[in-house]
Amino acid sequence: MPKLIIDSREIEVPAGTKVIDAAERLGLMIPRFCYHPALGSLGACRVCAVKFEEGPHKGLDMSCMVEAKEGMVVSTTDKEAVNFRKYVIEWLMINHPLDCPVCDEGGHCLLQDETVSGGHGIRRYRGKKRTYEDQDLGPFVQHEMNRCIHCWRCRRFYQEFTGYRDLGAMQIGNRTYFGRSCSGALESPFSGNLIDVCPTGVFTDKPARYKGRRWDFERAPSICLHCSLGCNITGSARYREVVRVEAHHHPGVNGYFICDRGRFGFAYANHPERPRRARINGKEVSFEEAIHHTAGQLRQLRDRAGNSAIACLGSPRSSLETQVSLSRFCELLDLADPRFFLDGDVEHRVKRAVSKLDERVAISMREIEDSDFVLAVGVDPIHEAPMLALAMRQAYRKGGSVAILDPRPVSLPFEFDHLPVAIAEMDLCLNAIMKTSLAAAVPENLSREARDFCRLVVAPNAGPTAFQERAIMVGQKLMESRRPVIVCGTEMVGGRTASLAGNHALLLRCADKKAGLFYVLPGPNAFGAALVSAHREWEPILDRMEKGEIRAVVIVEADPFGMAMDQDRWNRALETLEFIAVLDYLPSSSVAKAHVVFPTCTVFDTSGSSFINQEGRVQFSSPLHHGGSPVSQVSKGSHPPRIHLDRVPGGEAKSAAEILSELVSVIAGKEQKMETGDLWAWLTTDAPAFKKLSEFYSKRESFRLVPDRQPTKDFSEAFQQETDLRGDGHMELMLVDRMFGTEELSSHSQFAREAEKPPLLIMNTSDAERLGFTQGSRVSLQVKGVHIEAGLQCVERMASGVMVLPRHRGIPWQKFEASRVSVSVDRIKRLP
Amino acid sequence: MIPVDVKVLFKNAQPGRPATFDEYCRGGGYQALSEAIRKLAPKDVTRKVKDSGLRGRGGAGFPAGLKWAGIPEKAGFPRYVIANTDEMEPGTFKDRVLVNTDPHMVIEGTILAGYAVSAQRGIFFIRPSYETDAELLERELQVARAAGYLGKNILGSDFSFDIVVHRSGGRYICGEATAQVNAIMGNRPHPIKGGPHMAEQGLWKRPTLVNNVETLACAPHILQHGPEWFKSLAKTETGAGTKLYGVSGKVHQPGCYELPMGTRLGEIIEEAAGGMMRGSEFKAALPGGASTAFMPKQYYDIEMDFEALKKAGHRLGTGSIVVFDRQSCLVAATLNLTEFFVRESCGLCTPCREGLPFIRDLLWRIENGEGKEGFIPMLREMSAHMRHAYCAFAPGAAEPVEGLLLYFEEEIREHISQRKCPFGEHGTDHAETHH
Repeated sequence: MPKLIIDSREIEVPAGTKVIDAAERLGLMIPRFCYHPALGSLGACRVCAVKFEEGPHKGLDMSCMVEAKEGMVVSTTDKEAVNFRKYVIEWLMINHPLDCPVCDEGGHCLLQDETVSGGHGIRRYRGKKRTYEDQDLGPFVQHEMNRCIHCWRCRRFYQEFTGYRDLGAMQIGNRTYFGRSCSGALESPFSGNLIDVCPTGVFTDKPARYKGRRWDFERAPSICLHCSLGCNITGSARYREVVRVEAHHHPGVNGYFICDRGRFGFAYANHPERPRRARINGKEVSFEEAIHHTAGQLRQLRDRAGNSAIACLGSPRSSLETQVSLSRFCELLDLADPRFFLDGDVEHRVKRAVSKLDERVAISMREIEDSDFVLAVGVDPIHEAPMLALAMRQAYRKGGSVAILDPRPVSLPFEFDHLPVAIAEMDLCLNAIMKTSLAAAVPENLSREARDFCRLVVAPNAGPTAFQERAIMVGQKLMESRRPVIVCGTEMVGGRTASLAGNHALLLRCADKKAGLFYVLPGPNAFGAALVSAHREWEPILDRMEKGEIRAVVIVEADPFGMAMDQDRWNRALETLEFIAVLDYLPSSSVAKAHVVFPTCTVFDTSGSSFINQEGRVQFSSPLHHGGSPVSQVSKGSHPPRIHLDRVPGGEAKSAAEILSELVSVIAGKEQKMETGDLWAWLTTDAPAFKKLSEFYSKRESFRLVPDRQPTKDFSEAFQQETDLRGDGHMELMLVDRMFGTEELSSHSQFAREAEKPPLLIMNTSDAERLGFTQGSRVSLQVKGVHIEAGLQCVERMASGVMVLPRHRGIPWQKFEASRVSVSVDRIKRLP
Repeated sequence: MIPVDVKVLFKNAQPGRPATFDEYCRGGGYQALSEAIRKLAPKDVTRKVKDSGLRGRGGAGFPAGLKWAGIPEKAGFPRYVIANTDEMEPGTFKDRVLVNTDPHMVIEGTILAGYAVSAQRGIFFIRPSYETDAELLERELQVARAAGYLGKNILGSDFSFDIVVHRSGGRYICGEATAQVNAIMGNRPHPIKGGPHMAEQGLWKRPTLVNNVETLACAPHILQHGPEWFKSLAKTETGAGTKLYGVSGKVHQPGCYELPMGTRLGEIIEEAAGGMMRGSEFKAALPGGASTAFMPKQYYDIEMDFEALKKAGHRLGTGSIVVFDRQSCLVAATLNLTEFFVRESCGLCTPCREGLPFIRDLLWRIENGEGKEGFIPMLREMSAHMRHAYCAFAPGAAEPVEGLLLYFEEEIREHISQRKCPFGEHGTDHAETHH
């Protein structure tokens, strides 16, 4: 640990720390443009020059290029260094337009800050300014090359960090151009980070253009809800409209970046049809009226048909507060436990995953970056959890390798081994890989359970699997690794795959590897939902509705009538219901069908909500603003009416927890407080896992809510052969997620919608050939009354006998009975 | 007078055409290679080159033997030798003359370097405007291959080495060794600093040696006649070998002349280049290409050698002398040189990309009668700051400006006070349109 002196202050830093970082630890922000902690040193902008006065390195040099060494004496205020830095700024400003007043970066522009702080104010250069032509980079990123100061961050982020090549540097000298070979939408699903990394206004947020200056915004840290990773974001709002989302640095979760779905998916909060006022049978009413009406209806039904006639539905997108409130609501009213998953199979898999995760194996997303081997099972990172792909790429850049077991045509911005096994083969293939990795040495001193499990894995009768040779090759890489990570999905996997992956992670630890386990779950708070859910087996609500056992449903931030499989059954069951109350902020199908609608708050306008990401990390979001109907700033010719209200227009939404609390009080006929503190206490009596919650909640610090060791036995849950839906003239149809267009919240965002691609059906090239189809053919599928038309995409690298259909808004995917469907090949037709 | 027998690199020179393989062999060619492969261990070859005092002819003057010894014995394989034929320094044309005079000498030198560092692959990195030279080299490489000097198991030994000709995209920065390596790999030709050394991790992260072709061409002679002989060729104590001096500008016979290292500037101009053009009088010279500072009359007798020039605060560079007479406007000349560097900057770092155009603009204004007294300190500060740029490009580009400021400040002041160029029109008004 070298000790050095910077501006007369001593500091000790870890070996390898750059002087610029050492200074930052002392609170000295040495100016920088090209240097970025995530991208590392480059030495191009030369604005971080300091004077090395004593020690092994002498003279003026760049603080980002020199490592801190014992005995160094550094001056950031040395005359020569200051003069040089001043010149660097002057040089950068030679060509920079003085368009700060109309530039969207103005107010939070690094160049602006450094120019002012560097003291450059008078222009001495008398020549003409260089100009460039800008490009249309698609719906997200606005390009204004004239402002470029050539720090190279964009190119380094885009090409080196994320691995996409369609944006780069062209030309040389002071004509160097950063852009694409021609106009066109950026291909990287992480393109929005260009806006954050650009130190000036070359890349600005297109949807947020002209919405305001940084100081106009109401800003707060928040959590991204567009997948289960829980990336940290900063939201900005103005005039009651959420206008922008940026990445918020979190060293354990997302680092400095977020994906484009997370950045541009927020606009569901401003949806013009978002429920803003309570409604009874379509008529706007006061909140109080809606509460009393609902309470009356529920009470009446309960008296008439019994408690079991009322069912409650929650969802994995709700905050933990909402989920727990709903559970408590059911408990206090003596109703059946709420359901948080529309698909029972998914619920089982999520619960299996959650029950496997403990401090021995749980790792954060950033820890994946340091692993030397990532084995991902049943997960398509770019589409299901985009930032995971970026973390995997960093592992790859550091020399690690990645293998994916998934039937889908997984594509990632780096080289990896893809074993396109069907879901039915996944567990066997995973075992085959493990078997190879254990071939050299089965660990000794194993517990009995571990030994039994091990025996099962290495058993010769486990049989050859598809891709045997490649499984062996991957197994060898696993054997050689020191810090392997098993990543496991929960949607496109077998019923026991999540448990198996957990067992393998434990076994790898027995084999002296620092193995990690990383699940990908369906929804930003699926982890919370799994914890809060009752642990007993249950009969699906739909079955009970059909039997007439359920007469009323309370739906909290869920959309069974729009998002559940088997739409027709749901809609038929709907007719048997006497009362539907929906609490939501999305203009969903369920809201449209509800008798009573309560507008709830989004994550951006509710005070304090927490979400548990897929690694079990509880994170807190803060409200940006009060919320309400966005103020229309353009009146299209007529001035908006001047009506003075005693409330914020459209700002009546309450958090679902608050609404449920009020409902309980009214139904029970007495004050029934559901304060968060009480909720946690109540929760802890039932599930000790929640003990940490009350401890950290008041501090609002993020923490991992997983036990040191799971109470269930290690290596429990034997394999279970998954049924193969292929063969015998049949293909398996998988309904999958896509980066854009399938996730519930972002598909309500007008900005994310612009990046959606038309519906498509993906098939292995050889399957397509056999059926006489070619790339781009229009095909139709006719399955049990469901008719689907889509363009065909042929892919070499995916499982055969499988068709992949993204759950696109434009196709009636909800009509299928399950997410895995078997389709007879003669039901697939080519359209003229 | 220069004795005739001093010709080393040009000893097989044929009028108007390159020397053939046979001519090269008759002059003792490929004997050094045969001897080395038969009798010398690679490290002995390196030692001889080290002992000879040979210094890099590409401009930096780094001791060649040290560079060769820089590749650790334990370093990985394959290893590469790059013969830098990307000559793009304004005023410099010696490499082209050399390749066109005796291609096999360059080829043998490269093979010897390959042997010395146990490399497997040689690469001629050649600029596009030298396409005819690229073709010539390709043709002659085939001849050498047929003769068993290239390819698998050269001369029956276990040393295998082959050379390819790599045609560059053609930019000045590609002459910089690390940028050259990037260019070969298909990357943007940025110089690389702060990473592992090229001797260990160069081309495709393998040990790589980059030498100028003139440097490599000296190797066969060192091995054939010994390091002492090579050292004795020079006229100075610190020098070694002969040097290809290119002379251009206001001299009677511009051209490329092989002379002992350390020959005096005046001698080169008067005896090799036939003196100044009729009616012109020596004013200044760039001693080694566009990235060296002007040397005024007081250095007319300086020994043209790395050390002697360094002592005088100058650089030998490529040894390509550009001569200016009293009728030449040095502001215009500097502007012209700066134009070149502005155009060729790779654009990576700020001083080079933005600072040089600022300098160019000030020079243009001075030359065109728009100069101000305040420009002089600005020029002085900015050109001094160029040494803090990323690579050696910008400091090199600033050298003529610094020379101008040091020796010819009066000339700048005349421009400013007369509000015009005292030497008349130079046709440099295109600077403004360059944006």
